[in-house]
This record gives sequence, C-alpha cells and structure tokens, in this order.
Amino acid sequence: MNYLYFLYIEFLQRHNIPKLFGDITYYFIPFCIIAIALLVVVLGLVLAERKLLGFFTQRKGPNRVGWWGLLQTLADAFKLLCKENITPDKADRFLFNLAPVLVFVPIIAALGIIPYSAEFTFVNTSTNVILYLILAAFPVLSVFLAGWASNNKYSLFGAARSIAQVLSYELPITFVILAVVVLASSMNLTGITLAQTSKWWFSGWFIFPGILGFVILFICILAELNRCPFDLPEAESELVCGYNTEYSGMRFAIFYLSEYAMLFANAMFISILFLGGYLSPFGKYLFGSSFLIYFEQAFWLFLKASILVFIIIWIRATLPRLASFDLLKFSWVYLLPLSILNLFVAVIIKFAGAGG
Amino acid sequence: MDWNKFSKVFANCEINGNKILIKSGLHDVIRFIVDNYSYDVLKEIIAVHNQDDKIELIYHLYSSVDEEDLLISIFTDNEIESIIDIFKSAEADEKEIFDLFGIKFSGHDNLKRLYMPENWEGHPLRKDYVQDDTRLSRNDNNDNA
Amino acid sequence: MTTTTTLKLNLGPQHPSTHGVLRLLLELDGEKILSCEPDIGYLHRGMEKMAEKMSYIRYLPTVDRIDYLAGFFYSELLCRIVEKALEVELPQKVRAIRVMLLELNRISSHLLWIGAFLMDLGATSPFFYAFREREMILRYFEKLTGQRMMYNYFVFGGVRRDIDYLEDVDEILSILLSKLKDYENLIEKNPIFIRRVVNKGVLEKETALNYSITGVNLRSSGADFDTRFQDSLYSGFDIGKVILKEKDSMARYRARILEIKESMKIVRQALDYLKKSPALEQKLINPVNMKLPEGDYFADIEAPRGIASCFVRSYGEKEPYRLKWRTGSYYSVNLLRKLLVGEYLNDAIAIAGSLDIILPEVDK
Repeated sequence: MNYLYFLYIEFLQRHNIPKLFGDITYYFIPFCIIAIALLVVVLGLVLAERKLLGFFTQRKGPNRVGWWGLLQTLADAFKLLCKENITPDKADRFLFNLAPVLVFVPIIAALGIIPYSAEFTFVNTSTNVILYLILAAFPVLSVFLAGWASNNKYSLFGAARSIAQVLSYELPITFVILAVVVLASSMNLTGITLAQTSKWWFSGWFIFPGILGFVILFICILAELNRCPFDLPEAESELVCGYNTEYSGMRFAIFYLSEYAMLFANAMFISILFLGGYLSPFGKYLFGSSFLIYFEQAFWLFLKASILVFIIIWIRATLPRLASFDLLKFSWVYLLPLSILNLFVAVIIKFAGAGG
Repeated sequence: MDWNKFSKVFANCEINGNKILIKSGLHDVIRFIVDNYSYDVLKEIIAVHNQDDKIELIYHLYSSVDEEDLLISIFTDNEIESIIDIFKSAEADEKEIFDLFGIKFSGHDNLKRLYMPENWEGHPLRKDYVQDDTRLSRNDNNDNA
Repeated sequence: MTTTTTLKLNLGPQHPSTHGVLRLLLELDGEKILSCEPDIGYLHRGMEKMAEKMSYIRYLPTVDRIDYLAGFFYSELLCRIVEKALEVELPQKVRAIRVMLLELNRISSHLLWIGAFLMDLGATSPFFYAFREREMILRYFEKLTGQRMMYNYFVFGGVRRDIDYLEDVDEILSILLSKLKDYENLIEKNPIFIRRVVNKGVLEKETALNYSITGVNLRSSGADFDTRFQDSLYSGFDIGKVILKEKDSMARYRARILEIKESMKIVRQALDYLKKSPALEQKLINPVNMKLPEGDYFADIEAPRGIASCFVRSYGEKEPYRLKWRTGSYYSVNLLRKLLVGEYLNDAIAIAGSLDIILPEVDK
C-alpha cells in the first residue's frame, strides 16, 4: 500500500473511525477524484482540439460560448445530455446499451494506476505496466460490441477495422514496453519513472537510448486511439462515423469523451515510459522540499502529456488517412521488426552499462 | 470525311453535311462507322418527341482524332436496338431516354426508371405527357436493397 | 455448416463523401467491391422539361443551377445557342470578359475539388485552405455580379454590365500562385497521399473514350482532347495543353493543379486586354418575344467536369421545342460501375472522389 492510503487511514483513526471502513472506502475516493478530473481534462481537450484545428486551418474555432469559447464543450455536452437516446429497432438492445458503459471502465482503471507524482498513485502494484497494457487495449472490445450490436453495416465495418488495427499494433507496443522494462529493470510505472533520474537535467530519460522505441510507441498509440492518420474505424468519409454511427445523445457523448480520455491517458503513459514521467526536466524541483512538490510533479507530467497531445492534434491537421492494407502492412512489415530490434538494442545498452 | 464507302453499304441513308439520317439498322450503321471511321466517342444521345408523334434519336458521335462531330438520326416508335456493346456510355443515355421518353432498348438489360419513381406512369418529356400534380404527394420508390 | 454471402451496402444518398446525393449500391466481399450500381435522381429538377415551358430569357437564370460550382459555363452555353441562332457576333471585349470569368470559375471549381478530394482521403486542412483561395474568387464574383454562385451575368449578346474591380483579379492571381506552392508542399510530397493515389483508379484512354469521359479526367489519361482549342470564344488566347500519361488518381490531381495554372495564364491575358480596353459597347439582343429561327442548334464548351453541351430544337416559337443538356459528371457516374469493381472500400471512395462528380450536374 502506498503513502496516500496511510495518510487516509491515519486521518480516519484520528477521528476514531475503524480501519475497515477506510479499507473499503479508500477505493471509492480515487474513483471520484479521477472521474471529476477526467471530465475536466476531457472537456478541456475537446476544446483544445477544436481550437487548435481551427488555428491550423486558419479559422477561429469555437468562440461564442463563454470567454474565448471556453464553455463550448460544456454546452455541447449539455446539449447531448438533453437529446434523445435512440436505440435502433433491430439492434441488440442489451449489448447496444452496455457498450458505452463498458468503454469507460478500463479508462478510469487505467488512470488509477498512473503515478501522477511520487507517492501519488492510487493503485500501485509491482507489475502495473502489464496492467496498463491490458486496460489500454480493453476499449476496443466495447468498440467491437458497439459496432456489432448496432446492426448497421457501417458500424460493423468500423468495428472490424478497429479489431484488425488493435491486433496488429498491440504487438509492437508490447515489444517497445519490454525494452523500457529492460532499461529500467522494473515493471512498475513509478519504478520506471525513478529509473530515469539523472544528475544532469533530463539526460536520464529513456527517449535518448530509446528514440526508436519512442517513435514506434507513438505511432502505435495513434493507431490504438484511432487517431489520424489511423482513423479508419471512424473514417467519416467512408464509414459515416464508424462504430458509433447509430449512437446518439449521451451514449454518443460517452464514446466521444472516452476517446479523449484515452488519448490523454496514453499520452501520460508515453511520457512516463520515455519522457521521465513526473520528473522535472531541470533535474531539480522548484519547490524542492515543501508539500507543493507533489503538485509540481503532476504539473510536469501533465505538461509532457499535453505536448504529446498537441503533436497528435497537429498530425491530425496535416495527414490524410492511410489505406487499410497499408495500415496493416505498416505494422507487421516495419514496426514489428523494428520494435524487436529496439528490444535487442535495449538489452545491449543495459548489459554494456552493467559491465562498464 | 469520305462517305463514299459508307453510302455503298448503306444505300438508303441520307447524308447531309455531318448529319446522317437512317431508316433502320441503327446498330449496324454505328458498328460500321466505328470500325471504318475514326469516330470513337459517343458524346450523347438526344431524343426529341417530334410533332408527328415519333421519337427522333440523334446519336452524337465525335472523333477525337479528327475533332469532328457526326450526328446520326433515326426515328422510332417505342423500341430500338441498344448500342451498349459499342459504346458503354450509351448505357447512361439509354436509361435516361427510357425514363423520360419510354423508348425500350433491346439488348439493354438494366433498363430502370432513373429520375422518376419505379411505379410512375408516363414519360415526362413526351409531348403527350399529362401533368398530374396529385401524384406527387405519394412516392413509393421500391428499392431493391 | 456455414455459408458465406456477399454484403449489400447502400452508400448514400445521405453519406458524407458522395458530394451530394449520389447513391451507390455496392456488393461487397469483406471490403472488396464486387459490383457497383449508381443510382441517381435525388436532385432532379427537370431542367429540360422546364425549358419547354419557359421563354429563353426566363430560363436563363435557372441554368446557373445546373452546376452550382461552375455556373458561368452553363449560362454561356445558353447564350451561345441564342447568339448562334440569331447570328450575333460578340465584340472582342465581351469575349475577353467571358473568357476571364469562365476561367476564374474553372479555377474556383478545381480548387473546391482539391479540398473535397483531400477530405475524401481523410485530410481535413486542405479543404479549408482550398476554400480560402476559392473565397477570394467568389468575393470577386459577388462584387461584380451580385451573386456568389448563381451569377446570371451573361445575357444574350453580351454581359449584364461592364467589367469592374480588375485590381481584385490581379490580387487573386498573385496570391493564388504562392498558395499553389503550399499545396505542393503539403499534399503532393506527402507519402501517405502518394500511397493513396498513385496507381489507384487507373483509367485507360480507350475506356475513357468509350465511356464518354471528357475534360480533365480524359486528359489525365493521355488524350489530347480539349474543345477550347476549336472554340471561337477562345480564339486569340494562348492556351496551354495539360496532358498527363499516368492515368491514375494522382494524374487527375496533378492535371487539375496544372490546369489551374494554365487557366491563370488565360485570365492574365484577358486581364491585360481588359485593362487597356475602352468602356464596353455591346448590342444586346432584345429578349422580349425573342424567337429562335426553326432548326437544331448545338453548342458545347469545355466545362471543368468535361464537355458540357446544349442542344436546342426550335420551331420558331418563344420557347424551345426541346432542350437537352450534356454534362460531364453524368458520364463519370456511369464510369463508376466499371472503375470501382475490384477496389477496396476506402480506395473506392478516393477513386470516386478523383473523378469530380457533382450531383446537380448529373441530375440536371
């Protein structure tokens, strides 16, 4: 158990509340915190994407609701809440309604295991890299469920494309993560972060020995997130809207928002693996010894993730969509061998470092 | 163009400038022209419902080599042979003419109403077409998919 | 025991990438297209039937609507029919005005195609860039004619009013030239774009001719076929030939970019003439009770989407006895039946997009 847990138990015991109550409620608190934080982050992300895409294409982006359009996504979410939830007549009602619920569960769970700062991680297991990997691949199941249950041909195509895509990009991701695990000698995300500490600024980050791995992981994450140029499952010019064609109202909003939640979660994940996670790029923290250090660390993590998100949006504004065969070929022919090569390089670096 | 060769084979055709008026055997005429002259584009097929209640079909051929137009005109009542085996573009034109004039093209196996609903009565561009606006309120377009 | 069947997919009429209301009945095996059956008529406005009930001058404003992206071409066609029938010779200045506006219209139409085509391929930004450039041209049209798309500017025997705001055209040309370089950097050198368009949708010259494909699509299949060279309106103008040999979607893209550049040169020539020319002197035909002499009249023009032509049979009445339009897109839709078979769904969208099909032009 971690620091937060002890802090919480200690707080309860001071008020004569039994430890058992703390054990049970402890896991609800992070859930609530994550859920609220997630909503804020996602609403911000949606706005950021629309604003940025506007700037990239010489438009103003949303600027009517609130100052500088800040409340636009809130208004949109409210509008979607008010809209009717339509279930198609021939759809599988149970699965159709289950899919949007299922899509959010793994995302909240994945956010629970990310170390936001030293001692500030809700669930800290010794092998939570593997856990994250599983959770990150999980939403594709609900995507497939949604596509299948909709009883719509476009949805089905989107779902099938999504499965094919995740299947072929999951393997390079695993190899890249394996290389990071070898470099860090740890399967724990906090351990991986700490393994990147160095004396001189950011020289210890794994992006330097593992630049190849970083690029591969970045591309694969784009594919896993169905982001441009890998947005085939929801290619709007081909499949109308892909797997969520039939969804409306709040169910659609959940799919839409979960995409952005997953985007930010994965951006944080890449930052942890390659960009030193919550470590300061200056080697030392501005709030060296005070309590604020935890917030500073979380700030660095968010900043790194935001830069990655910015790059992802930038890519969306620039590139056209890949052809479906190129998409699969790209993974199996280029990324997979390269990721294995990357693993060997990591092993050699590790042993050379250990020998010397 | 030198039409002597053509007039020898099809004696009963009137050649008038770049317009040829034929009585029958449309398919043979066009086949002959395509094989023996440089006409390689069927620009369009124009149908006119004439005042003597016949449909005049004007086949507008074009030679991309010599850059010359040729009009082949034929009169018909309601059926004529299709030329989609010579010009694939005729498929579109014949469908349109079937829809708007009611001409059947034998050999064209995909004749369906194009603009009008499947169960529409009458062919709008014929001069004897009676406009009946009450039908517009109901539209049962039976789709096959 | 399991049986496998093919999947029938109804692409359209309401679909984001059919550029209007085209409906494609696709038979699919997985994502591979086994057969394609285009279904049109969702935008049919009865342009030909309408003509038989209207006098020529009443009909003239409606013909801009046949192709809302290149309206000038169709009003030019109808004007040309009337001018041919009444044997009116256009003054040099009217010809220059018409050529300049037609070519500007062609540029704006091609620009929109570039945006829409890239949108089909999944790139969103070029759409906005192309619209930004097109906007300059539309602004100019609006200043000159009062309308952005349905101009109603050409009238029988001339133009509605004298040309003006020529300095705007100067600006359009200079800005456009620099922006076309941006397109090259953003689009043409993009490896994903190249993979999506090179060797996709190969259209042989013979097939194209047999399917009556004209215009840019035919010229990018290697045919030297441009009616502007025989057009009396364009006589005296130096027109560059754009003929590409690659036959694929990439060729169709590059042909349009090159054609924009060639059109800009023509606009420049017309502009130089118009700047020096005196005020407009034209003899308009009085359209009231105007009757065309008995006979058949043909007119054709090189529109952005292939040859557009107009046929009028007149029996000396105020209305045409029969009026028929030929539009380029109508035949491109027919070509889809052949060109899409054997392609995969996302390539098929790109190929259909590369042909530049505009539905109002198809349905007439």
